[in-house]
Amino acid sequence: MHEKAQDLATAFLAGRIGRRELARRLAGLGLALGSAETLLNAAATRALAADFDWKKHQGTQIKVLLNKHPYADALIADLANFETLTGMEVTYDIFPEDVYFDKVTAALSSHATQYDVFMTGAYQTWQYGPAGWLVDFNEYLKDPTKTAATYNWDDILPNLRASTAWSGKPGAELGGPGAHQWAVPWGFELNNLSYNQTIFDKLKLSPPRNMEELMAVAAKITKDAGGPYGIGVRGSRSWATIHPGFLSAYSNYGQRDFTMANGRLRAAMNTPESKAFHKLWVQMIQESGPKNWATYTWYQVGTDLGAGASGMIYDADILGYFMNGGDNRERGHLAYAPFAANPAAKGPTSNVWIWSLAMSNFSRQKDAGWTFIQWASGTDHLFYGARKSDVVNPVRNSVWQDAEFKERIAKSYPGYLNQYEKTAPDAKIYFTPQPLFFNLTTEWAASLQRMVAREVSVDEGLDKLADSVNRQLHQAGIG
Amino acid sequence: MALHKLLRAAALTLVLLFFLFPIFWIVVMSFQTNEEILRLPPSLVFAPTLANYTALISGHLQTASGILDITFLHNLWNSILLSTCSVLLALVLGVPAAYAFARFRFRLGEDIAFTMLSFRFAPPLLVLLPLSLYFQDLGLNDTYIGLIWIYQLICLPLILWIVRGYFEDASPDIEYAYRIDGHSWWRAFTRIAIPLAGPGIAAAGLLSFIFAWNNFVFALILASADKQPVTVGALAFVTASGIQYGQIAAAIVLSILPTLALALYAQRWLVEGLSLGAVKG
Amino acid sequence: MSTTVIIPTPAKAPARPLLPRLLPYLLSLPALIVCIGILVPFFTAAWYSLQRYNLAMPLNREFVWFGQYLDMLTDPDFWATVRVSAVYAASTVGLELLLGLGIALLLRERTRFNNIVSVALLLPLMTAPAIASLMWKLMTNPNFGVLSWLVALFGVHDFRWASAPSSAMFTVVLVDIWVYTPFMMVLLLAGLRSLPQQPFEAARLDGVAGHFVFFRITLPMLAPYIVTATLFRMLDSMQQFDIVYAMTQGGPGDSLMLFQVRAYLDFFQYTNVGTSAALMIVLWALTYALSNVFIKQWLKLRERTHGAA
Repeated sequence: MHEKAQDLATAFLAGRIGRRELARRLAGLGLALGSAETLLNAAATRALAADFDWKKHQGTQIKVLLNKHPYADALIADLANFETLTGMEVTYDIFPEDVYFDKVTAALSSHATQYDVFMTGAYQTWQYGPAGWLVDFNEYLKDPTKTAATYNWDDILPNLRASTAWSGKPGAELGGPGAHQWAVPWGFELNNLSYNQTIFDKLKLSPPRNMEELMAVAAKITKDAGGPYGIGVRGSRSWATIHPGFLSAYSNYGQRDFTMANGRLRAAMNTPESKAFHKLWVQMIQESGPKNWATYTWYQVGTDLGAGASGMIYDADILGYFMNGGDNRERGHLAYAPFAANPAAKGPTSNVWIWSLAMSNFSRQKDAGWTFIQWASGTDHLFYGARKSDVVNPVRNSVWQDAEFKERIAKSYPGYLNQYEKTAPDAKIYFTPQPLFFNLTTEWAASLQRMVAREVSVDEGLDKLADSVNRQLHQAGIG
Repeated sequence: MALHKLLRAAALTLVLLFFLFPIFWIVVMSFQTNEEILRLPPSLVFAPTLANYTALISGHLQTASGILDITFLHNLWNSILLSTCSVLLALVLGVPAAYAFARFRFRLGEDIAFTMLSFRFAPPLLVLLPLSLYFQDLGLNDTYIGLIWIYQLICLPLILWIVRGYFEDASPDIEYAYRIDGHSWWRAFTRIAIPLAGPGIAAAGLLSFIFAWNNFVFALILASADKQPVTVGALAFVTASGIQYGQIAAAIVLSILPTLALALYAQRWLVEGLSLGAVKG
Repeated sequence: MSTTVIIPTPAKAPARPLLPRLLPYLLSLPALIVCIGILVPFFTAAWYSLQRYNLAMPLNREFVWFGQYLDMLTDPDFWATVRVSAVYAASTVGLELLLGLGIALLLRERTRFNNIVSVALLLPLMTAPAIASLMWKLMTNPNFGVLSWLVALFGVHDFRWASAPSSAMFTVVLVDIWVYTPFMMVLLLAGLRSLPQQPFEAARLDGVAGHFVFFRITLPMLAPYIVTATLFRMLDSMQQFDIVYAMTQGGPGDSLMLFQVRAYLDFFQYTNVGTSAALMIVLWALTYALSNVFIKQWLKLRERTHGAA
């Protein structure tokens, strides 16, 4: 009896259960909440003593590889707190986003020992993990001597935890059986609509709710807004063209990139439903997309929205967030809306990009590195980032519930919280994890470019794409 | 003759327009805010601001989310250090070699010369991965020495082959006359041959300086953030929260200045040349 | 009058027979030694090219001899890369040579104005292509781009620059010309100005027509410089990466998948070390063969000019 009560107290302190839950369960044990106070204090002392020693790696120096990103800026601004807490010293190398992953790939592939921790996306772990360059965090998460009870891993959104874990078996479910936790989610991006309220008001438009409405609204803006075009989406020859709005909408129609049969992957981009969706998407870009669509990356899509050259974008919510501030012409004029392309779908299905923290397998001080990751993805820092800085898509549920954060966002970013709430339940990575991800997804984008340029019809283009993808899967021995 | 002159002037005007208009526009942008740059349509009417330059030089950028540190001047210093040392080393190594290939016929001479050139064929990507592995083992990773060595891939073949041409054009007769007067080979080389090939050396040195300056892939892969050249530094203004075009433009202007100064200084040799005709007879 | 290149065994040579013979080696070996270290990674890369080797699939790594090269020969994408690279190299080098030569002739006179202009024309070369391409991308943006705006003034609306398959090649070639013509120009100008004056004076005294002077005197005498400048431009152009990658990432479709763009993607994004290395080795072999032709030509031209001088 006493032991069970102690466990509950510990769980409460670690934040794994709430106060009400604690009271309910204590009652079940025949105890009242008030009488549990002493129990709690004891547990708190025990937690501090036995649970975790933040100063364990005092004096250790670790080096972190960072991408030039507002999330990294927030981290750097808060580093002093970590150093005070742990007595460790953190140095960092920060590289421009354009070349960031080149640097990471080069450092890991040459087995460089100088970086302990680095920023990564989830997709990249599908290469780095099987290559043997990453540390599986499962053993750290389970070990109470390495992970503070207050870390509260379960507070991190479950879809994101699953999306950064993979067994390494091509096609196996993310976060499924035998999955290695290759990375820890840190900040993420949902793909929804960000739109220019001024233009919408002028043309008396309301945010489109499905693909058909999206195309109509985009066409209307292109025709009547006097300059701006309707819809900004990415189009460069890169996997990054596929993963935001495009894949979110595609998944909304229940379409997949691959199917699994007998442990073999097969391309699924040329089903009739997929072809129908591709036709809509291609038509939308031809009619109301940016003229130079085939060169459009994150930056151009965002710049156009921020400068009032486009009426809306179907891309990362945080991109729309950034464009609503800074020295952008349209700052303060943007609003946000959830989007489910398929009228028959029960809600949005946003594919997500997850900025995560991972640890190099070549690091010589992994425990110290984990201490850092734990802090950076822990509640303290994420509260700081969400309230004081631009970490506005925090990965923790508790941060999304924070009143101060919510108030700040609700005040200047109309619809932002709503699009999160509507989208979060089904937001996850919709790609099938497999080692040829970048290769095949880039080819998908190239194929889309040909369709938009009318070099090939959608039907023919997708059949060709599927053939080529199947051939490459076969060559790699996974299809 | 008047028509001829007119055509010449017209051609020169077109050439200058084509090559200098983008530069002009970059300079204009460097005095604009991002908001002014991203205007429809583009316009020349604006209130010039020095904000981009002060941000780069002071090292602090005021943004919506606080003050960001900019390491641009440090990047600029890295570029100067890397390019200067690389070119100097390449000149020390390359000019005597070029002289040897030009003046002497020796066994394997052409083979060595061609091998040197063939280093230039190796696409940087090809050698980068193994190179980073070996650098790790040799402890050259993340050192200026290692980078300067690798930069020889860019500088040395260029210097060697261009300077060689100039040595071959300069007649050896003067050197022989000088040597028959009792001067050593070394004196003939330094007092006669090198000055005669001066324009070539200046041109080759300047060009390889520029190519070293513009490179960034070697430093990116082989060194940490504090040894990155200005090319990588300027990319830092391409961030998730937007591209800071004004600062990139200012960064380009600032990064051109050292090279431009060098070119203006070298132009005496670069384009004045020497009246080799008299020599060549 | 000088004759052909003389092997310098001046008066005192017999007294010190060893040094003069060793001298050329002593002069050229340091340069060679410094570079020779590069051969090690080169051979390592060649070794990778004989393996199926994707870093993300370490268990699949196997030695396949020339398997990847053979795969390439039957791969239409590879041939597309060869074709696109050839078109790119030929058009950039060809146009830059013509333009560079033209400008060098315009600036041939040694005047202060010409000297300043020639330095000013080097400015495009001084802006790193990786950064300059960002600016070109902005300038060709249909909304904010000053160039898009300018061509619209001339009645060309809706020109899509690097994003349409029909104009993508044109756009990147244009940027390449802008960046690298000054390279040609400065080498040819330096060459022009170091040519001996005598033949030109003789021609002038004889009243020889201008185009005759150009084709019969200037061009042949300048030929070695043209070959060197073209050679270096060609090597760089075949290995083009930064302009094309920054502006189009190889698209639209596969329309600009040059050798280095493909190899870069293979390595840095697809972690496919094997195919990337094989592709690079092919590129290396191509440049090697082409340079060989150039160098033979260059040596021949050298012989001829020196013989005729």
